[in-house]
This record gives sequence, structure tokens and C-alpha cells, in this order.
Amino acid sequence: MAKSSQVFRIFLAEDNAADVVLVREALDRHSISYELMAYPNAQAAILAAERCGSDGYPAPNLMLVDLNLPWGHGCNVLEAASKNPVLNSVRKAILSSFVGSPSDVETARRLGATSFIMKPANLEEFLDDVGRQLAHLLESSEAASS
Amino acid sequence: MKTAASASLNNSHATGLRPEKVKILAVDDDRDNLLALQAILEPLQQDLMLAESGTDALRLCLDHDFAAILLDVRMPELDGFETAELIRSRKRSLHTPILFLTAYRSDEQLFRGYDLGAVDFLFKPIVPEVLQSKVNVFVQLSWSELLVRRQAEELARTERTFRAVLEGAPDAMVITSTSGDIQLANSRTDTMFGHSREALLGTNIRNLIPEWTCPELISGGIAMLRGAPETRLPATRKDGSPFPAEITCSPFGVAEGFLVTTAIRDATTQVEAEERITRINQELEKRVAERTIELTRSNEALRQFAWAASHDLQEPIRTVLSYSQWLSQSVTDELDEKQTIMLRFIEQHASRMHQLAGGLQQYIVASEAGQQAWTTVDCNVALKTVLSTLQENIKESGAVIECDHLPVILSIEVLMVQLFKNLISNGIKYRSSETPRIHISSSRGEDGWVFSVRDNGLGIEPKYFEYIFGVFKRLHAVDHSGTGIGLAICKAAVERLGGRIWLESTPGSGSVFYFCHPELTHGEIESSVSNLPG
Repeated sequence: MAKSSQVFRIFLAEDNAADVVLVREALDRHSISYELMAYPNAQAAILAAERCGSDGYPAPNLMLVDLNLPWGHGCNVLEAASKNPVLNSVRKAILSSFVGSPSDVETARRLGATSFIMKPANLEEFLDDVGRQLAHLLESSEAASS
Repeated sequence: MKTAASASLNNSHATGLRPEKVKILAVDDDRDNLLALQAILEPLQQDLMLAESGTDALRLCLDHDFAAILLDVRMPELDGFETAELIRSRKRSLHTPILFLTAYRSDEQLFRGYDLGAVDFLFKPIVPEVLQSKVNVFVQLSWSELLVRRQAEELARTERTFRAVLEGAPDAMVITSTSGDIQLANSRTDTMFGHSREALLGTNIRNLIPEWTCPELISGGIAMLRGAPETRLPATRKDGSPFPAEITCSPFGVAEGFLVTTAIRDATTQVEAEERITRINQELEKRVAERTIELTRSNEALRQFAWAASHDLQEPIRTVLSYSQWLSQSVTDELDEKQTIMLRFIEQHASRMHQLAGGLQQYIVASEAGQQAWTTVDCNVALKTVLSTLQENIKESGAVIECDHLPVILSIEVLMVQLFKNLISNGIKYRSSETPRIHISSSRGEDGWVFSVRDNGLGIEPKYFEYIFGVFKRLHAVDHSGTGIGLAICKAAVERLGGRIWLESTPGSGSVFYFCHPELTHGEIESSVSNLPG
């Protein structure tokens, strides 16, 4: 990371606590300083997306959304985010363990998701590949916002 | 006279009447005279009867019809005139022509003779030619009468037949002019419409069938009318009640122009039956539609269940897999041999479970209807995509892949990719000790394209040809890394595309998998998609 001093705020809608740990591990492995806001279900994530920008809820640098969430769907979270102008310029990515159905991917794309990150089954791949892709997204979002 | 007689015979031939001998009666008290008459009339070749007295003549007149009677005036007892009077007084012989034969030319005799209805007088001595000629006239006259009588009989017979046909018909039959004025109707017409037949005559058929129209008239060399096909029109009974009628109009020509026979059948029962069938069909269609909706719903529910199950299975097993790997990395130095094996088995089977769930998901994608779009697919490009994803496998196994030029077709790209990927990776996976060689080619068959993927691998025994296309069916042990769903995915994909998959194989020398792909047009695809339920 070129500017490792910056602390990135990462919005993560993910119900699998094990994956939250893996995401943290991957970020650590790539020496990224981060503040992770993890939401374990769609409703919590939607609420957070709506509140972003108001007092005590700073906008994140990156939104990571799992498609398959309890109490809703990843696309519902993206939809809520698309209605909040504060999140307009924020990079959004899908983090999923399976190839979503073509219609889901299309919907996510329409609602502002620009990347699609597969969760690999292999630990090393997860830590290396996912970490690298997250680092890349954060770098490009930093470039876009500065 | 021979000529006259033969002429008359020819004549009768021409009129179509069979020449029959007619009877002629000659009456004279002098036997010699009778023999002379017989000789004179012989050439006419008719049936001559002889009588020697008026009484004999009268007796013969009781039993026979004569074309002419030659009557001698001067006879003892009953003379010619008295005999004639008696002949005339009988009904049977009232009009029989009588020729008087006499030696005396007296006016008184002539008057009396003509008074009694004589048609002619012949004076003795008889001139044979004159007698022949006169008698021949009566023979001809008799023949003409016979002809007329026979024609009248024939006409009466035809008329009776016609009536019988008309009355025996199961339909109401009405004969009208071309403008619809009723000239004749059979008794079925009475019962069908409630009008008496007499009351119908002269009225218009449109009182019975308001929409009746005269069939089309076609005039050619001879004016002709064309029979109209059966039509169904509303009909009205005398009491005003309506009923559906099947109507057939057949025109026919008569001397004055044309008449039209209209056959009318009460179609009430038929219409009711048709309505009942329509109702039953509608009910049936409704039930089929309901059942289809039900099935579509349960299919959709099953599909969603299978999809969710495959996904939800994948998620936890992926976590088990990652964390067992993490665990083994972090504790690797602290484990004894047994513990290492335990962890390896956990990893191995978690990995396999993950593959199975992934395969199941692909299978669902392949068999799902209406989710993927039909587009123009360049099979060469699809194959290239597949080869790049299989790059590692190919490199590792040293496989040689040969591809012919493949067509550009209307298809579903993701399915074509799955097909090539599974068939090629199978060829590599189930390789023999030889370097794997895989050849992909295509040809145009009767029902579209036939693709083939040939390998030189282990081969498959024919008894397993069906078995291998089942879900999770495999011929090799778990360590062969197959999930047992690859060919099931291929089968589902091919069937989704409207084709079929089969193979030829010899154990030990490789297999050829074939699949056919119908050649479709955009229009055919649209109509097939719109026919899909839901």
C-alpha cells in the first residue's frame, strides 16, 4: 500500500462471522489500516446505509456486500445505498461465495456495484486474492476521492 | 304395300317403341271375301282376326282391342250398320275406327255410316293398295296411342317415385322458385315447422328460414346452378319458436328456368351436443391450466429449494474448509502423525463437499428454463474460454487438445461453455497412461449440428452408458477427483438446448461424446420461449 498511514473505513454486510474474520485477516496480510463496520443481516446494513453521512455515521471508503443475507438480500442494501447521496461516490463491491444468478448480478450492477469478488474455498487464495482485490479497490477509491 | 309397312316399322323404331303387332278385325259373311282381305293385308304383317257375322265380331270385340275394324255392310241377321252401332255402344270399343266395305255407292248409306261413327268407306271391288294404305294409317295411329299411353304411365311412375323419395326423406324438403316461393313440400316439413303443407304452398320459404338465400347462379354455355354447401341457419316454427337448422340447397333446371330443393334438418340435438363438447373442453382446458399453474409453482419452489440448498451447503463447507486449512497451518509443528491425518481427511472431504455443492448449482443453472438468453454463440470463442479456464489441468496432464473449426449458432452461451468444459475435463480426468489427446469437431446433421469430443482415455463399458448421465453417478473412486455431476450437467444443458447427448466408447481405447444441437431461428426461439409456462 502506497499510503498505508490512512485508515480506511470499510462497510461490510456479511452474516458469516467466519468470513468477517477472514476479511480482517486478508486486510491485515496486505497491511491495510482499516476500521471495519460489519453488519450481520440485511436490515442492519440497510439502516446503516441510510444513516451514513449523519452525525456519528461517517461515510465509508468501500462497501462490501454479500448477496445472500438474512432478513433481506444484498441488492436491498445496494438499493438503500443508491438512495443516499452521501454514498454516491463510494465504491461498492459484491463479496459472494457463489456465482450469483445472472439476474442478481445484473441488478447489483444497476444498483452501483462495480466489482464482483468470489470468496475462494481455499484459505490461501482467500487471504491473497481477496486481500489484493480489496487493496486495489481502496487505492482506486482513494484516488477517486482525492 | 311393302314399302309403307316397312316405313312404318322404321318409324316406330325411331320413337323408341318396340314394334308390336296390332290387331285388325275383318268382318264379312262371305268366306272368300275374308280370304281376299287376308291376302291383301298380309304384307302389313299385323294380327288379322276374321269374323263371319256381326255376332262373331261383337264377341271378339269383348276380348280384344282393335286398331281398326273392316266391316262389310251387307250381312244376314246383323248387318254392318247394326253391328257398328253395337260396337260403338260399348265403352271398350267406343273409339275403335270402323271402315265400311260396300258394293253400293248410295248417299243414304254414307250418311248412316258416318252417323254411326265410321271413319271411312271402301267400295268393292277393293283396290288392294288403297286398303293397305288406309289400314296402315290406323296401325300407325294405334302405335302412336300406345306410345303416348306408355309415356304417361312412365311419367306417373316417375312422379310416384319422386313423391316416395320426397316423403321418405328424413329431412324437410321444400321446392321453391329461385325467389323462394314454395311450390312443393313434404310431410316432414309439416311436422318440423307446424304449418300444414297446403298453407305453405305459395308462401315464401323465408317465413321458415329468414336468412334463406338462393344458391349462386352460374351461367355458362348451358345455364347451371351450383349446389350450396351445408350451412346452419336459424329457423322459425309456426308458433314463433326458433331452432337451428342444417340447410342444403340444390338447384335444378326445368323448362321455365330453375327450381331449388332445400333440405332442412333440425340441428337442435347436434347444436346441444356441440355446446356440451365445447363446455367440456373448456372445463378440461381450465383444469389443465390450473394443474399447469400448480405444477409450475411446485417446480419453481423445488428449483428455488435446490438452488438455496446448494448455496447454503456451499457456504458453511467453505468455512469449514478454510478454517481447517488455517488450523493445520497454524498448528502444523505441534501435531502428531495421527492428528495430521485427521485434519487432512477433514480438509479433503470438506473440499469434496464444496465441489459437490458447486456442481449441483451448475446443474441447476443448466436445467433451469427461461433464465439464460439465446444469443448468437461463436462456438470457437466458447471453446477458447473453456480452454483458458482448464489451462492448469491441460498443462499439468500434458493433454493435447485439437479443435476443428466450429460453427456460429443460436444457443445459450453459458450452456455451451459448460458442455465443452465438462466433456474436455472428463477426457483429461479419466485419462489412461497415454498422453491425453482430445479432439473437438462438429458436423451438420439432419436435425442441426452434431458436436463431438473424442478422447483416448479409459473408456466406458456400454452397460454404463445410461448410468453415467445420472446426478452424482461415478464409475471411479473418490480419489479420482470427479464429483459425478459433470455429465448430468451436460445432459441437462443439451436437453435445455433441445438436443440430446450420447456416446460411443471402447474400454481401454477412449470415448467419443456426441451431442446434437438443433439449428434454430430467432423466430422459433421466441415462440418456444413464449410457450414456456409461468
